Amino acid sequence: QGLKPLVPTESPAPIFGTSKPSVLPATEPFLGKNNVSDLQKVFQRSDGLPVHLKGGVPDRMLYRTTMALTIGGTIYCLVALYIASQPKNK
Amino acid sequence: MTHQAHSYHMVDPSPWPILGAAAALLTTSGLAMWFHYNSPYLVIIGLLSTALVMLQWWRDIIRESTFQGHHTPTVQKGLRYGMVLFITSEAFFFLGFFWAFFHSSLAPTPELGGQWPPVGIQPLDPMDVPLLNTAILLASGVTVTWAHHSIMEASRKQAVHALTLTVLLGFYFTGLQAMEYYEAPFSIADGVYGSTFFVATGFHGLHVIIGSTFLLVCLLRLIKYHFTSNHHFGFEAAAWYWHFVDVVWLFLYMTIYWWGS
Repeated sequence: QGLKPLVPTESPAPIFGTSKPSVLPATEPFLGKNNVSDLQKVFQRSDGLPVHLKGGVPDRMLYRTTMALTIGGTIYCLVALYIASQPKNK
Repeated sequence: MTHQAHSYHMVDPSPWPILGAAAALLTTSGLAMWFHYNSPYLVIIGLLSTALVMLQWWRDIIRESTFQGHHTPTVQKGLRYGMVLFITSEAFFFLGFFWAFFHSSLAPTPELGGQWPPVGIQPLDPMDVPLLNTAILLASGVTVTWAHHSIMEASRKQAVHALTLTVLLGFYFTGLQAMEYYEAPFSIADGVYGSTFFVATGFHGLHVIIGSTFLLVCLLRLIKYHFTSNHHFGFEAAAWYWHFVDVVWLFLYMTIYWWGS
């Protein structure tokens, strides 16, 4: 649910509509509901994964992108430093 | 299943420390390639990889604490020591630039016309935008304290309002300072006045941006219910850092902006 309002059974009134009150009903939590306990279950699963990969596919993608950028960049860096360290031609 | 007989946190193996070090190598070598060979690619890769490492490292710390419960009181104590030591090191960093300012301004050389501000320099009016910026940062110190008390009293709405105001004040300061930089009648290349002014206020501005970002992350975590009324050290660390940034500005204002004009 997060920031989305609860889905009503009848057709929803537009936020600025005058036919229904525009104030949130008292049962709606302010700015989204608390789903920390769900996340706690996810990250406490005994799957043997380290914390930086425990979120699944998005974690793997981010990790691989960071690794590629860093390793590739380091190779580029070493080549650039090697070239820069050559004496200037007369 | 084995359990540890102590209250410290033995972290999972992580790639971020070494990748962070590599990112620092790319950023610094990249600066050299940019300055001397006019090639920006390496510094861009360096800054990007630094950002990615920071994002994932701090994301993992949130997972370890809020979702896995590893931040016992013992661990929290260590984090408090760590943040205090870090802010102390930053204080020494700024001390160096204040030293440089006083070195040049207390005994202005004949090349400057024997005066401070030097001949030809039109300093900014300290009673203009700089005074407004002082008011903004002082107000933000009040709002961040209001936010802290609201968190401790479990007043969610008030805490969100107060922290949002704090972040907005921070960005307002940055916007005004950027405008001041653009409109200033002198530049960093204008002798030692320009150097001391822009390096000291420039590093301060960078710290305002860092602090505002830290507070913004805390606001997002606050909205997502990560903080409890007893345990919210991430927020406290951000608030300490923010007060430090405020104090540095007060010193900058009194010395460089006011005495130095």
